[in-house]
Amino acid sequence: MATVTFDGTTRYYAGNPVPAVDGLDLEVADGEFLVLVGPSGCGKSTTLRMLAGLEGIDDGAIRIGDRDVTNLPPKDRDIAMVFQNYALYPHMTVADNIGFHLKIAKMPKAERLERVREAAELLDLTPYLDRKPAKLSGGQRQRVAMGRAIVRRPQVFCMDEPLSNLDAKLRVQTRTQIASLQRRLGVTTIYVTHDQVEAMTMGDRVAVLKDGLLQQCDTPIGLFGKPANLFVAGFIGSPAMNLIPATVEGDSARVGGRPVQLTRDQVSALTSPSVVVGVRPEGWRILSPAEGIEATVEVVEELGSDQYLYCSSPVEQIGADANQFTVRAPGMSPWQRGDKLGLAPETGAVHLFDAETGARLPD
Amino acid sequence: MSSTVESKPAVAVRPVRTPPRKPKPAPGSRGFSPLRLLGMIFVWLFTAVNVLVLYWLVSASFKTPIEIFSKPFALPLQWFERGDPFRNFAYAWNNAGFGHAFVVTVVLVAVSSVVIVLVSAPAAYALSRLGVRGSNGLTNFVAIGMGIPFQTVVIPLFIGMGKLGLTNNLFGMFLIYVALSIPFTVFLLTGFFKSLPDELEEAAAIDGASPFRTFFAIMLPLTRGGLITALILNAIGLWNETLLAIVFLNENANFTLARALFSFYGAASYQSEYGGLIAGVAIVVLPMLVLYVLLARRIITGLTLGAGK
Amino acid sequence: MTSTVTAPEADEQHSSASGAHLVRKKRLFFPFFLPAVTLYVLFLVVPTIATVVLGFTSWAGAGDTPRFIGIGNYAELMGSDSFRYAFLNTLLYIVVGGVGTFLLAFLFTMVLRDMRGGKIVRAVLFFPNIVAPVALGMFFGIILIFRPNRQGLVNHLLESVGVDAVKFLAPENVTWVVTACLIWASSGFYITILMAAVDRIPPYLYEDADIAGATPWQKFRNVTLPLTWDVIGVAGVLWTISAIKIFELVFVLAGPGTYSPQIRAWTLGIYVFDRSFGTAGSPQYGMACAAAVVMILLVSVLVVLLRRLMRRDTIQF
Repeated sequence: MATVTFDGTTRYYAGNPVPAVDGLDLEVADGEFLVLVGPSGCGKSTTLRMLAGLEGIDDGAIRIGDRDVTNLPPKDRDIAMVFQNYALYPHMTVADNIGFHLKIAKMPKAERLERVREAAELLDLTPYLDRKPAKLSGGQRQRVAMGRAIVRRPQVFCMDEPLSNLDAKLRVQTRTQIASLQRRLGVTTIYVTHDQVEAMTMGDRVAVLKDGLLQQCDTPIGLFGKPANLFVAGFIGSPAMNLIPATVEGDSARVGGRPVQLTRDQVSALTSPSVVVGVRPEGWRILSPAEGIEATVEVVEELGSDQYLYCSSPVEQIGADANQFTVRAPGMSPWQRGDKLGLAPETGAVHLFDAETGARLPD
Repeated sequence: MSSTVESKPAVAVRPVRTPPRKPKPAPGSRGFSPLRLLGMIFVWLFTAVNVLVLYWLVSASFKTPIEIFSKPFALPLQWFERGDPFRNFAYAWNNAGFGHAFVVTVVLVAVSSVVIVLVSAPAAYALSRLGVRGSNGLTNFVAIGMGIPFQTVVIPLFIGMGKLGLTNNLFGMFLIYVALSIPFTVFLLTGFFKSLPDELEEAAAIDGASPFRTFFAIMLPLTRGGLITALILNAIGLWNETLLAIVFLNENANFTLARALFSFYGAASYQSEYGGLIAGVAIVVLPMLVLYVLLARRIITGLTLGAGK
Repeated sequence: MTSTVTAPEADEQHSSASGAHLVRKKRLFFPFFLPAVTLYVLFLVVPTIATVVLGFTSWAGAGDTPRFIGIGNYAELMGSDSFRYAFLNTLLYIVVGGVGTFLLAFLFTMVLRDMRGGKIVRAVLFFPNIVAPVALGMFFGIILIFRPNRQGLVNHLLESVGVDAVKFLAPENVTWVVTACLIWASSGFYITILMAAVDRIPPYLYEDADIAGATPWQKFRNVTLPLTWDVIGVAGVLWTISAIKIFELVFVLAGPGTYSPQIRAWTLGIYVFDRSFGTAGSPQYGMACAAAVVMILLVSVLVVLLRRLMRRDTIQF
């Protein structure tokens, strides 16, 4: 099939001096499922639309395989796109919708119908081939949109938040269907979403964007285990990582009166004495109040398998809930509102970031 | 230590870039297809012709007949040289009776338009919001009236109005204008009333307002936009109305502008009084142009509303 | 009178509070509806019926009494040259003018969809719709005039590029000239209606068509046309009911103005006018009414036909 390469790809919008996508360098391997994720307005959809040829490229290039497609119109790029709203033609039947691109490409009718039949079988759409989109459920429409992409047998699939219009339960089901379908077809896929859970569960690799800049591109494990900066640390993982600002004195930072040790490399990498200590909710040990950072349980969220404790503490954090610590405890634990705890990070669960640049300190 | 740390650029420092003057278009649209280019040229040409036509009309209304025909695109000169630039308008206004017709038209159109809306608004409200069975059928019954050509009613109307002594009579003209504008206006206003949410009336009912009061104090003010649109569209329609004016008005003192223009045409072409004639056309057209420049959006959406839904 | 309609409605209302309010509301129906509907019935419905009845009579107007002659008028219409011209011309304006207007409007929608300045173009093209047809007619009459040495604007231009001047307003040409003027003047209205419909089509459908590699024509054929079909149908009906009335434009362009033009240029509207209020000869109200009935029949047949032709499942986006 084909690789996809973004090479300093840049996109401006009229009247805005700040680029929507700024010098994106990204290499997507053949057959890889790459997810672009980030908050709204981060440039992820623009990136996808540039790849599809729906948006011009102001600087840099995009290559599919060894072909430079920067200036090719969409139809010559050998891609298929699944739109957020599915972009189904309301006046055509499911079969006509799936076969529309082939019809435009003047494929002989017999071959076209055969491909449509195949795709419909693959997606369990055979009984609905004669229906109009208005008579389909959300999930079925989503599959028709997938079918229209599949029949083109493209080198690259572009998917723009294809699950955002489905209800929560269907979204989880469809998520796995799409991922397994992609693995079966082995077609390079670029998938845009704002939902980090979707990103982490579906992607071979996940690229995190913010304000048009690529923050980090790594496997879900790499992203979760070693977030490259504060933004990724806060964005990936649910509930989010606790991020506690601290000041380094000598070779340790004090968090809630407790020392956090820094390595020599970490100390020398700092641009100022300010550091941010990150601990995921599952990275805390719960001790007695005297032994760790003081915290008071405010809300207990019981999930059965796990329990999340939202605690207040005199220690400040960065972000919206300045004084809230999130702690994971085993499910059915006896914690109650008002209980006092002491929190200490597990060994190896501490992430350190330079507070000035936001960058991760070397491990 | 504040929370601003998070918002700092995280990995790379942005390289300094100069944004392009205009972002590149998508690659598909860039390839100028000859068909598209041809279409663009045609569209602009067509538009340019329209603008030119308007220029011709306005400039010709200040020209002498010789200038009109020999120098169609030049700026007017001869009447200006003779120190009488408004000669054509003066001729049309005084000698061809447009001055009097103008006053008649303004009054007739204004009074008729207001009365049309006053009569149609309650009817439209009754049909669209009172929930009476058969409202839809009645609405269609009224709307069909829009499809009846005036020619089919003009003879019996002429006879009937004649019996009442209302032909060649501005009050008779007013009655006919009001009555024949009802289908369109009712249809237009039902659309506006239907677009209002039910909660308003219910809230008013809970507050103890009588239905009559609800209509005047709440529903009418809320459809003000629709009422104004109806008023303007009727005014435009009546300002331009010619056929009924030709049939029902036959005395100069009662002439409307369109009627006066109609009778002036034969005489003017016979006497080669083209300057005065074009000034007459301009007197009919220019008020509409002014109205259009001020209210183009309202007029366009109003007139095309029925079809869009 | 009020209670006869509202009473059965009130019985159906079980919830008393809102029911009482509804009854009070419904009492407004007749006071609100009657004035308008009275005028409507008196001035439009009754005269239409009267026209149908008078169409079966021979009547010279004031001073004469209508005499029932069955379908005599219609038989005479069939054999009359002037009526045949009027009927065929009207049909021609509706069909050729309609096809031309809609083709032009389609062409414009294809180009205007993503063109800068489209709004201005639309506004400019729309303007002739609010100009009195009689003024338009005179305007065209002056610019199209054929008069050697003092030509109208169009012939002036033709001669200046070395083309022979054309007698645009001669009876054999005027029908086509009027058709062209009609298309010119009305296209703005239909462009606006169609563009409003086109603007409601979600842009991602065109993007998908782009990815499929559709040409502008294929986009029009596969996306724009099917998704504006309903609106086109309504616009077609509007066209028909406005084109059937065509009168002033032809009357002024084809004739001397005050008197009826030559019969070759007639429309049904002119026929009715000429036989009743035209100054030439004694009026034939019966014939005029019969011709007016033909107008109603023609418009009804065309509208029903158009609705049949355009019928299709409604589209939900």
